[in-house]
Amino acid sequence: MDLQTLILKLSAYWVSKGCLLEQPWDVEVGAGTMHPATFLRVLGPEPWRAAYVQPSRRPADGRYGQNPFRLVKHQQFQVVMKPAPDDIQDLYVESLVALGIDPKEHDLRFEEDNWESPTLGAWGVGWQVLLDGMEITQFTYFQQAGGIDLAPITVEITYGLERLTMFLAKQRSVYDVEWAPGVTYGEARKQDEYEVSKYGFEVADASLWQTLFDRFEAESGRCLDAGLVLPAYDFALKCSHAFNILDARGAVSATDRVGVIRRVRELAVRCAKAYVASREAQGFPMLPKTAAPPPENGAENG
Amino acid sequence: MAEFLFEILAEEIPAGILPAAREDLLARVSAAFADARLGGTLTVYSTSRRLALVGEGVADQQPDAESEVTGPPASVGYDTDGNPTKAAIGFAKAQGVTVEDLRVATLPKGPYVVARKVTPGRPAGEVIGEILPALVEKMTFPRMMRWGDGTPQWIRPVHSVLALLDGLVIPMHLFGVESGRTTFGHRTLAPGRIVTMGVADWFQKLRAAHVEPDLAVRRARFQEQAQSLASEVGGEPADDAALLDTWAHLVESPGVVRGSFDPDFLALPEEILVTSMREHQKMLPVRSSGTLAAHFLAACDQIADPKGLIARGNQWVTEARFSDARFFWDDDGRTRLEDRLPRLGKLQFQETLGDYLRKTGRIQDLAEKLAARLGLSHLDGVLVRAARLMKADLVTDMVREFPDLQGVVGGLYARRDGEEEEVWQALYDQYRPASADDSMPRGDVGCVVALADRLDTLTGLFGLGLAPTGSKDPYALRRAALGVVRILLDRKWRLDLPAASADAAALHGALPRQRDEMLKELSAFFLERLRFLLEKKGHASDVVEAVLTTDCPDLADAEERVEAVEAMRKEQDFLPLAAAFKRMQNILAQSPVAPGGIGEPDPAKMTDDAEKALAGDYLQAKGMLDDLVAKRRYKDALSIMASMGPALDRFFTEVHVMAEDPEVKANRIALLRSMRDQFVRVARFSEIRG
Repeated sequence: MDLQTLILKLSAYWVSKGCLLEQPWDVEVGAGTMHPATFLRVLGPEPWRAAYVQPSRRPADGRYGQNPFRLVKHQQFQVVMKPAPDDIQDLYVESLVALGIDPKEHDLRFEEDNWESPTLGAWGVGWQVLLDGMEITQFTYFQQAGGIDLAPITVEITYGLERLTMFLAKQRSVYDVEWAPGVTYGEARKQDEYEVSKYGFEVADASLWQTLFDRFEAESGRCLDAGLVLPAYDFALKCSHAFNILDARGAVSATDRVGVIRRVRELAVRCAKAYVASREAQGFPMLPKTAAPPPENGAENG
Repeated sequence: MAEFLFEILAEEIPAGILPAAREDLLARVSAAFADARLGGTLTVYSTSRRLALVGEGVADQQPDAESEVTGPPASVGYDTDGNPTKAAIGFAKAQGVTVEDLRVATLPKGPYVVARKVTPGRPAGEVIGEILPALVEKMTFPRMMRWGDGTPQWIRPVHSVLALLDGLVIPMHLFGVESGRTTFGHRTLAPGRIVTMGVADWFQKLRAAHVEPDLAVRRARFQEQAQSLASEVGGEPADDAALLDTWAHLVESPGVVRGSFDPDFLALPEEILVTSMREHQKMLPVRSSGTLAAHFLAACDQIADPKGLIARGNQWVTEARFSDARFFWDDDGRTRLEDRLPRLGKLQFQETLGDYLRKTGRIQDLAEKLAARLGLSHLDGVLVRAARLMKADLVTDMVREFPDLQGVVGGLYARRDGEEEEVWQALYDQYRPASADDSMPRGDVGCVVALADRLDTLTGLFGLGLAPTGSKDPYALRRAALGVVRILLDRKWRLDLPAASADAAALHGALPRQRDEMLKELSAFFLERLRFLLEKKGHASDVVEAVLTTDCPDLADAEERVEAVEAMRKEQDFLPLAAAFKRMQNILAQSPVAPGGIGEPDPAKMTDDAEKALAGDYLQAKGMLDDLVAKRRYKDALSIMASMGPALDRFFTEVHVMAEDPEVKANRIALLRSMRDQFVRVARFSEIRG
């Protein structure tokens, strides 16, 4: 199965389970969790179900296109459901069936793997899902985000798209998998990997990124003071990306590191509080009007 | 008598907490059954998704319980004619008994009206249904999870609760889930609902649904399969009891698949392949005639792999990991360790103590100082080289990928860089011994740099006031100190440890803690580890105490003294010596040292025969004792001391130490003090229990 078929099948499956098909966030992020459709939507009492692909950037993982498994830019397929359905593990297993995997013929295990993001003030507990020994999914019940204890609890399911495609095709290099029939991942992306790796490790102007970090941080604060949650959050994400570039470039001294992470976390925490306050001021508009369960158009009751 | 069955079906419970969770559940519920007078014998079962208890011989009904409730004083409860007053009548009514059931009991505070009450026993099911939910809901785990609306909190969400007493459902709610007689089979092989009538039925139906509830059975099955799959390819599974335990906790249906990998990977260092398999993939490597074979054994939660899909998947992952490792091995190889040093300047060791480059510099200086103290200065060249390179592997991709292999990777890279054997081995072994049972660095060089590294860490963090407290030891300082002690004992190195610690502390410059005070605390910390190790080696705790309460700057010497005292203790004349020492100690405790100090005992001033005899024995032996102690021939020194037992006994029987004549008295005290000080160079015998 090629990469795009995988994306289409996962999208179709989760849409059938009542997820809104979100689109990738248009600011650089290190993981799908940082998309506002996860980080902000897990906050507060309103129900939420979404699925989306999120291209993610991790400059420090750059290997100049030389390593068959490591990428700066990779893609995650992210599912968030709040509250987590009782049968979410079954729904997940069914998503594998939708990809043509018969769980009866494979070894499927949920092994403990908890998740923590110091920059987001967030953590969750859950598992890595192993299919025949391969980690194909991160499965997390969010417990806290932006320093706020969450209730109800959101489940986050993250499929690593490149790895999953490689595994299903039993390819040894990510660059050999097919993105679309007749087009390989390498043809689509290999030169990008070389360039972003070289940029992050060798070319990035550290003093520019340092300045950008400071100014993005200040701008985020200004937005928060003006009561603008999403712009503030966008600038917090830009800070996080600036930090990742500086880190890859080796420009964050060990002593500074803790301090810089704290500065990003403070923004994330302020954004989270401001988001909850803003939703509350709007009367939590997505709360069901009656005591009925959250709106669903799914077949999960079937 | 009834049989009891209780099963919680949850989402996958972390393998790491299952051992403790099993114990905890069993202990809590057994104690509660005993308290509730239900008796019975409980056994715990578990799988990756279940915690269960099976009880035999549980009472159907609690026995009646008798109790007495104290009411008003007798003088208030009865009038002078012995008739019950309103107070007694009211009390009886409140207690639900008749006035005739009251009696007067003589309590410590006087005569009181008491009501004798019989609480009728209740049906066991009712009682269990009441007590069980709270017991389970109050279990705690290192990392709790909330789910649903955010209220329930346990290790993972609970899906079904099965609770039966003699086949009848015990009604209860656990985290809002109502109990019943249903459970579910294996997640992928037999996910359907199972209706259970009792214990035997539960076992049988679960097993039919590919769930083996017995941990020991799963483990044995894993072991058998691993053994037979390995022998099919002429090998043996690596001996790893801990991994088999983990496997058994990870599944409901134990299966093993064997896979192979491209033998070209065997060109990579074995350490890396094994770590990748064990730590990253939880696989058992296969060995054949001592060397690693190009096979692996992987656990799975499956009965069979007829199409070989599971083996193929695991093989793909293994080769992917190995290719990754080969990439790091080749890529890291382009930069010599030497050339990585500048990057250590960007890697923080500790906020105040600075980066790893600075730490490396301190380790070099300290290694030379240690070598001078140990008479190993001829090794200075290799020591400095090893110290200089020892942390460079922290900035390699391989260590980033395999943190457990820090040190080992440095050693392998140093060997490839063409460093001398003593140097690369020192790097390789630098974190040994990592525990009380781990192996030692191979040579002197490895031991010296391992000591220097740990002394630097310990004095630095103690200097910052970051010594471990209680169970909190984030910098693993206990392990570091244990490493220091084990190396010194193992090499039998005569090192003045407080002085070496002071060398290490001086290299940090000024730190918040006052240095002498900190060093004292650190010495005590080392002695604690030494005590633990000596007792672990089987030495009696009082003998260890007798030596460790003396001055012990040299730990290897302390161990020799413990061994000598221990050996001597078995001899007949030892106990009288210990008793005599105690008497000396008691007398000296009452005799404060005079301002002029204590002189040497003067035989000319001795008046009593017993005194002269003892002084004669002692003064004659003193030179020999000095010599023996200096040569650390402690057993010989001890037998000479013991030979003075009879003279000491006679002295204490016949001589009054606290003589009227102050000079005579002072001379006698001087004799005892001199002897005591001599003895204490080996041990403080007063600590020895008879």
